[in-house]
Amino acid sequence: MSATLEPVFGANVDATRPTNVLVVGVGGQGVIMVSKVMARIAQLHCREIKQSEVHGMAKRGGSVFSHVRFGAEVWAPTIALGEADVVVALEWAEGLRWLPYLNPVSGSLIVDTKRIVPPFGCIDRRRGATLAYPDTRIAEVAAHVPNLYALDAEGMAEALGNPRVANTVLLGVLSTTLDFPAEEWRRVIAEFVPAATVSTNLEALEVGRKWARRVHEGEAVTAPLNLPQARPAAAVVDSVALDINPAWCKGCDICVKMCPELCLRLNENQKAELTDAALCTGCHICEWLCPDFAIKVNLLPTAEAQHA
Amino acid sequence: MNRPVSKDFDIRDYLRLDRMPHFLCPGCGHGIALRALLWAIHELDLNKDKLAVVSGIGCSGRLSAYVDANTYHTTHGRPLAFATGLKLARPDLTVVVITGDGDSLAIGGNHLIHACRRNLDLTCLMLNNEVYGMTGGQASPTTSADRYTTTTPLGNHEPRFDACKLAQAAGASFVGREVTLQLPALKNLIREGIAHAGFSFVEVMSDCTEIYGRKNELGSSPEMVLRQKHDVRPESYGNQVERPFRPGPWQTGILARDERVEYGAAWRSHCAQHGGGVAP
Repeated sequence: MSATLEPVFGANVDATRPTNVLVVGVGGQGVIMVSKVMARIAQLHCREIKQSEVHGMAKRGGSVFSHVRFGAEVWAPTIALGEADVVVALEWAEGLRWLPYLNPVSGSLIVDTKRIVPPFGCIDRRRGATLAYPDTRIAEVAAHVPNLYALDAEGMAEALGNPRVANTVLLGVLSTTLDFPAEEWRRVIAEFVPAATVSTNLEALEVGRKWARRVHEGEAVTAPLNLPQARPAAAVVDSVALDINPAWCKGCDICVKMCPELCLRLNENQKAELTDAALCTGCHICEWLCPDFAIKVNLLPTAEAQHA
Repeated sequence: MNRPVSKDFDIRDYLRLDRMPHFLCPGCGHGIALRALLWAIHELDLNKDKLAVVSGIGCSGRLSAYVDANTYHTTHGRPLAFATGLKLARPDLTVVVITGDGDSLAIGGNHLIHACRRNLDLTCLMLNNEVYGMTGGQASPTTSADRYTTTTPLGNHEPRFDACKLAQAAGASFVGREVTLQLPALKNLIREGIAHAGFSFVEVMSDCTEIYGRKNELGSSPEMVLRQKHDVRPESYGNQVERPFRPGPWQTGILARDERVEYGAAWRSHCAQHGGGVAP
């Protein structure tokens, strides 16, 4: 590694073993870009560097991770449980998912408090259904993590005018935990991002570095964590009444085939019929695509909502 | 007429309930198109007494009979001519023309291009099911290549019209296309078209299951509606990547829009200057 360094905050790089950086997030957030920048910088200083990633399968919105290992000698391409020196999480739940990989003694967790509820978190599509998303708070995580950097990177990036540079904000925080010159980070980032966004990305890097500096100076700047609530805040509707007019229905089968919950069928008279009212989510697709206007979806407020 | 309208859209508020159920075949896309039109009218909060729906002959022509508003069922191919007279005499009315592909492109082709050229504040909803459905399934100007109809027993070898390009070239100031499968998008497009001051041409890609689909083995009604998903090339795809998601041949969305002089306003100001004309 290079000898001349600018002030290092919370350095946890050990010369006798590889340094492990695990970058995790949701597909489309820029996980691979972060790990490529990390790997490129490491390449300039270390004899051996290995990066391995899983992406593609995750598509947009799926879980994406990338292992970056660098040092004098690196054998395995992936990081073992409990051996990541830094985990950079671009999303809150992904950070929680990969926590077992963090070194429990000296590891740093850099996490965006941004939450992206995965498709499987919304598998119950009825109105008013709760989301399957962890309700773990920052304080609970802080109790188990040696160095926690929880920040609203997305919010900071939005303040810069482009929420997509949130990953560069996190890179800024990451750059303060490793012993590489700041100038090098700037140069490599400028090399990796599209030409039109270079200045925004460099600003984002600076924002991240400034935020980390404030943390190292002991300021309590932990971001507020907005955990997801059950979806309907204002209009609480949970029961659906499907009003099917058999006199108008001509049995064209469109509603039956289009229903995402498969809860409609044609009865013996070739008229549409609801098979299981509990499955219906009130998505309106049958109503919209009925050419005979035979279906009307009525969303009924719950008893509590009627009281309020 | 004058039946009250509930706050949330309920299509039954806009239908002549004594005429229902309508005469369309099971799975006909025209019903979905009519829902989109009535939904758009509901969202624009138009008074039913100030709405006139004009239609020609054909499956599409019968739709006006089910709308609880001022309706006008006219001769084959001429709904735009009738609507032009109506709009000039009663500029306070919102005039919507429902026409079909044969009605507007073949029999009323001249009326269509001149209505586009004049740019009078009409909304023309062309329901394109690629066939003359009501008269027995003859080939229309929009029948796709190699499709079998009663007049093309060996398959259709005439190239088809691109109605939106035709309307745009003839001078329509608002041109759009959408499929019935994307009902909310279709509703939004029609709403934009009605709100636009000038001639709005909206092509609705509908489907004819009984007469066209069956002859060409295009499958059941749900299969025909779902196929539209592969036939469209939404405007939002733009020119980013060549065939990014295997887009189909029909570009959808708002295809053309300009703010030309609206003919009715120009005509009235001309009358005010030089005298003549009919006072509204």
